Amino acid sequence: MSADLVRVAVDSERCIGGGQCEMLEPEVFLVDDDEAISSVIGSGELPRDRADVVVHRCPGAAISIVQPQRPSE
Amino acid sequence: MLSERVLAPADLQDPATFSQGIPQEAFAEMRARPTLSWTPPGGGDRTGFWSVTRHAPVSEVSRDTDLYSSAVGHIQIYDIDDDALSARASMIDLDPPVHTRLRRLVSSAFTPRHVQSYETAVRARIAERLDALMQSGGGNWVEAVAAPIPIGVICDIMGVPESDHDYMIELTDHLVAGTSSKPLEPSAYGNTTDLRLLPFNSPAAHGINEYARALGERRRTEPADDLITKLIEAEVDGERLTDAEFTNFFRLMVFAGNETTRASMAHLALHLVEFADQFERLRSDPSLMDQAVEEVIRYSSPILYFRRTLTRDTVLQDTPLRAGDKVVMWYAAANFDEEVFDEPLRFDVTRPLRPPNVAFGGGGAHFCLGAPLARLEVAILIESILSRGINLRLAGDPVYVDSNFVNGIEHLEVEVG
Ligand code: HEM
Repeated sequence: MSADLVRVAVDSERCIGGGQCEMLEPEVFLVDDDEAISSVIGSGELPRDRADVVVHRCPGAAISIVQPQRPSE
Repeated sequence: MLSERVLAPADLQDPATFSQGIPQEAFAEMRARPTLSWTPPGGGDRTGFWSVTRHAPVSEVSRDTDLYSSAVGHIQIYDIDDDALSARASMIDLDPPVHTRLRRLVSSAFTPRHVQSYETAVRARIAERLDALMQSGGGNWVEAVAAPIPIGVICDIMGVPESDHDYMIELTDHLVAGTSSKPLEPSAYGNTTDLRLLPFNSPAAHGINEYARALGERRRTEPADDLITKLIEAEVDGERLTDAEFTNFFRLMVFAGNETTRASMAHLALHLVEFADQFERLRSDPSLMDQAVEEVIRYSSPILYFRRTLTRDTVLQDTPLRAGDKVVMWYAAANFDEEVFDEPLRFDVTRPLRPPNVAFGGGGAHFCLGAPLARLEVAILIESILSRGINLRLAGDPVYVDSNFVNGIEHLEVEVG
């Protein structure tokens, strides 16, 4: 089983404020209440499989994996 | 050399093709073809178009707004003049970045997190309607349940007073009638605007615009905690919305938030009767609710299609396309793609959530703003029906909305026990 951590980022130009990311990973994404643009809070790290789900679910295709991290021990 | 074009096997511009719901056989035939199917120009405003019926290319078209534009040409299946296009344009008819700036004015009110705050109000509206239906023993499910709930919910969010909800239902009904073969009198609702400038070529659009204008005026002096006030006060790049931007925005919201969810709720009555075992399954395992909601929405596919216009030459599903060509994404066909949905005609509340159906669009900038709200409404309706032990029986055949755009039901007589 792979516990690879990756770092995710939001392209704020593409974000349409769908809020899927925040619903799936509330520790990592926050959708601003006024502007409805998502941003990464904290380290932005997620296990790769969960990051893939958010990337896939984002209706605006605004989330990407920017940096694969070393596998956690 | 021109490659040979395979013609669509049904007249997809004729509402009659959809008079019994989704034309499953024609769509299955089109999905099975290696290339896209072509419908030649039909004279007048009917340009030729390519039909996209498989799931993967629908997502591909949907996500690439540079190549497949919503702003160049009309997103419905008939053509309109440029002045009419710009007179009608709301965000759904625009491309990023203009689209994105408009969408951000309202999107925070529709995130999954935010829609949870509407739950109590939605539950109360649903309870009121179901209890009334149970007391009367039956009636037209659409009029009694499916229509009033979504319009009530979206009107509340917009800030339309309760006393005007019936008027909004009437106006939006006529708007869809504009895509049907039975148009309204051009002067209906005091309309004086050239019909070709009005959305769906319908005078009801004039009625909605006038209503929005008056309510907007009122909110200028009496602001409230609603979306009308937000739109009146909003600035895009330091500028207020123009009168047309404002009225077009309002119209998009009441139409999109209403007609679509109504269609799913209307079809739900058919599903409850026809697939009773599936709802028994859900009753014994409420954790299947998200999947059940998605299945109702997939199976009903309320919006049949949207159209895009090519900005460059490309190849899609082995079909060479030219700049200016029209492609129609048939969501109602892609939602039954046998490559993606095992036994697609089976109604199955245990169907996996991924890959997602495309009833809310294939993803990308225009992905349905109201998806979390629609899901909430449908979930609470199902839950409320099950918890009341409502036992529906059909007392007549469904009468479908006369449209090739909305898979709606106009009338469905039911008895409840
Ligand atoms: C079952 C119910 C619904 C269905 C099937 C549905 C379907 C759709 C579809 C197919 C699109 C176009 C997507 C695209 O072009 O990629 C759309 C867009 C839209 N929907 Fe919905 N919808 C539903 C409910 C709602 C509700 C409740 C609202 C209320 C806010 C809403 C508001 C909108 C708006 C404003 C757009 C335009 C978004 C844009 O252009 O950025 N919809 N919807």
